[in-house]
Amino acid sequence: MTRRQTLLGLLALGGAFVIFVIPFLFVLLNAMKTAQDASQLDFSLPERWVFWQNLVTTIQTRDYALLLAYWNSIVITVGAMTLLVITGAMVGYIVQRRPSPVTRIVYMVALSGLMIPPAVVPTIWLLQSIGLFKTLNGMILIQCAYGMGFTVLLYRSFIATIPRELDEAAIIDGAKPWQVFFKVVLPLLKPVTLTIIVVQSITIFNDFTHPLYYLPGRENITVQLTLYNFQSQFVTQMNLLFMNILLITIPPLIVFIFFNRQIVAGMTSGAVKG
Amino acid sequence: MSKVALKDLRKSFGAVEVIKGIDLTVEAGEFCVFVGPSGCGKSTLLRMISGLEEQSSGHIEIGGRDVSHKEPSERGIAMVFQNYALYPHLTVRENIGFGLSLARTPKDEIRRKVDKVAETLQLGDYLDRKPKALSGGQRQRVAIGRAIVRDPEVFLFDEPLSNLDAALRSQMRIELTDLHARLGATMIYVTHDQVEAMTMADKIVVLNGGRIEQVGTPMELYDTPATPFVAGFIGSPRMNLYEGRVARERGCTTYGIRPEHLHISETEGTWKGQVRHIERLGADTILHLEMDELGEMLARVDGSRSFRPGQAIFATPDESREVRF
Repeated sequence: MTRRQTLLGLLALGGAFVIFVIPFLFVLLNAMKTAQDASQLDFSLPERWVFWQNLVTTIQTRDYALLLAYWNSIVITVGAMTLLVITGAMVGYIVQRRPSPVTRIVYMVALSGLMIPPAVVPTIWLLQSIGLFKTLNGMILIQCAYGMGFTVLLYRSFIATIPRELDEAAIIDGAKPWQVFFKVVLPLLKPVTLTIIVVQSITIFNDFTHPLYYLPGRENITVQLTLYNFQSQFVTQMNLLFMNILLITIPPLIVFIFFNRQIVAGMTSGAVKG
Repeated sequence: MSKVALKDLRKSFGAVEVIKGIDLTVEAGEFCVFVGPSGCGKSTLLRMISGLEEQSSGHIEIGGRDVSHKEPSERGIAMVFQNYALYPHLTVRENIGFGLSLARTPKDEIRRKVDKVAETLQLGDYLDRKPKALSGGQRQRVAIGRAIVRDPEVFLFDEPLSNLDAALRSQMRIELTDLHARLGATMIYVTHDQVEAMTMADKIVVLNGGRIEQVGTPMELYDTPATPFVAGFIGSPRMNLYEGRVARERGCTTYGIRPEHLHISETEGTWKGQVRHIERLGADTILHLEMDELGEMLARVDGSRSFRPGQAIFATPDESREVRF
């Protein structure tokens, strides 16, 4: 490595440190301060370390709202992911394997989900009229709809790399269409499915705006909305707010650390024929 | 073992007709090869027999049953694909037994049948491997095993050897011929390689532009081709074909003589010309000649004779082997 390369590398690492690590350290430090200390919002070591006390208070606030929020978010994420993976893979498979005017329109509709911004008010009207507003089921369907475009896009391009002869061999072996999908195609979609699960579950788990619009009510709280527990017009408890941020950041962070290799593998597979 | 009969079979993709009325009978137990240049419709024809492609009109009978509108799995056929089409996530044992497990065959029976097929094809040591851990020849054997285990009435092969290297290809040709002799099943084999067709077939069907040019045994096609196309396609190196004055003098529109039926002399003969290029194959030598009257000509001579480029020679056809159209 030349001097120039070393210098550039160090510079890039420094930049990444400032952008990614410093904010996290700031959150971590302030989560361990007392309320008075944290309200200064400065980058200093705490006068008194009150990590455990802040943790307990944060969890207990508003009758254990954080735990309820965890439960709700997990239900929404798991429900939406299951629906998204199964229906997305099916749509991607049919769109790729049976090109016709109908499937082209279906694909355009799926892609338009990526291009056209969601209309909140009409969606709420619709949810109200079918009795799904303010319910977890409704929220699961909404998340599924928002993720569908990306999921179908990824599945379709991945399925294009699976030789059609595999389907035909299975048909000759006597497989019905659903058996071709579940016994031959779906098992081969594992790499891209892992990518979709990681990317979409983090997106859904961390979603702030959509639960804010479509899921009002104390009992419907999701993790990102717990941030409001410590913020009000008059008093803001910064130390507890930062502790809350820390608690809700950790699960997606762990998922990301363990699966980031799969994410890159799944994103690039299908791009180049292997 | 069943007879396959095709009756006025046609197929169009949109406005383009690719199969233009095929009538053909493949006798029970016969090894029939469809051969032709790429785009002649031979693979489409095979896929129509398998049921993967629906015919636009006409009928297909297998073993006397009309299967024209039956599902592929109900036709009593098994197919081997060019790229093997093995299920990558299943082991060799699961690949071979896949069809049986779909049909809810008892596990013991599947095990017994797969073991028997594996023994026939010498795959016993590889049963627990995944396809990616096998060589090309082994993969092709697994694909053949998957066909055998279904005990079909008719085997269909779609260019199964074209992904293999030359040495393996000639070995697999012999294995397939042996397999046919042992099973006695009806086999239909598609290839663009006329060597494969000549060496393996009981009956060759030459296709061109969606039509049958000629049906016959390998030697019938070699000795008495029905059309200039068949004459040019069967045999390697290809037959010398001439139109114009040479043909008119001999009372035909196209005159053909195979390279191996020319006598080459340095002193006298029917046509004069010179050697342009020499291909030495060892036992034989292929001469590329430039004839004064005819233009390009190929000749096959004994490998022990020596020639040099630019040398003047005379060529004389063996009159008993001339072909006139």
